[in-house]
Amino acid sequence: VTAQFGEPGDVVDLSFPVRADLVVLARLSAATIAGRAGFGLEDIEDLRLAVEELCLSVVSVTGTGRLHLRYSSQGDALNVTCTFERDDSVNGSVVETPESELSRRILDALVDEHGHDVVDGDPCAWFKKRRVGVLSDG
Amino acid sequence: MNETFGIDQRDHDGVPVIVVSGEIDLATAPELRTRIQRELAAGHPRIIIDLLGVSFLDSTALGVMVGGLKQCRAAGGDLELLVAEARILKIFDITGLSEVFSISPSLEARSSDETSASS
Repeated sequence: VTAQFGEPGDVVDLSFPVRADLVVLARLSAATIAGRAGFGLEDIEDLRLAVEELCLSVVSVTGTGRLHLRYSSQGDALNVTCTFERDDSVNGSVVETPESELSRRILDALVDEHGHDVVDGDPCAWFKKRRVGVLSDG
Repeated sequence: MNETFGIDQRDHDGVPVIVVSGEIDLATAPELRTRIQRELAAGHPRIIIDLLGVSFLDSTALGVMVGGLKQCRAAGGDLELLVAEARILKIFDITGLSEVFSISPSLEARSSDETSASS
């Protein structure tokens, strides 16, 4: 990650195996990128949780594989997508669990937009969060 | 990877208090579930979870606590929480769970609430 994040075309990709003890990488990367993108402290904490929930929402699919996180900048917004690339070819629909509902409520509260897609058969979740009250360089 | 997670236990007037610190997530929430199950199996349907030292929790952690709450209430008890950090309270608020759990900012505050309620 460069010193600043937020120039047009800035994209950061992170990929790691789906393992409970590695999901912490998602929130570590979220905190770093949100800080470099100019988000305030409270928003950074919100983004840590939001990215974690994004990952949890796609790994509720059974199976092994890799999580691919993509951070991209779009104007005053940070876009995050999380795709679960499964090792097998079983249909990758997201399983609804009681925790899914909690995840949805958390994302509703913390980000501006969020949703789910299926990309090339793999479940993908995304959100967009806009910066509010960004400090200028001057 | 989650070096800051810790879980301990003490007793408060005969009620088991599960003291959690650090980050409760997909990797660490199962340990909390195990502690709750252990207390229920030991015949303690009333449990306090001390989250005062918790810096992060996610929906996995919430799910474990909601599951524990249901089991405690089904057994005639309750699962109460100690939370003081605004960031953690916010997670209970936005999920609507602050209306579901009995939440106190400290053991002392909980005890004084109980005294007021019983007098």
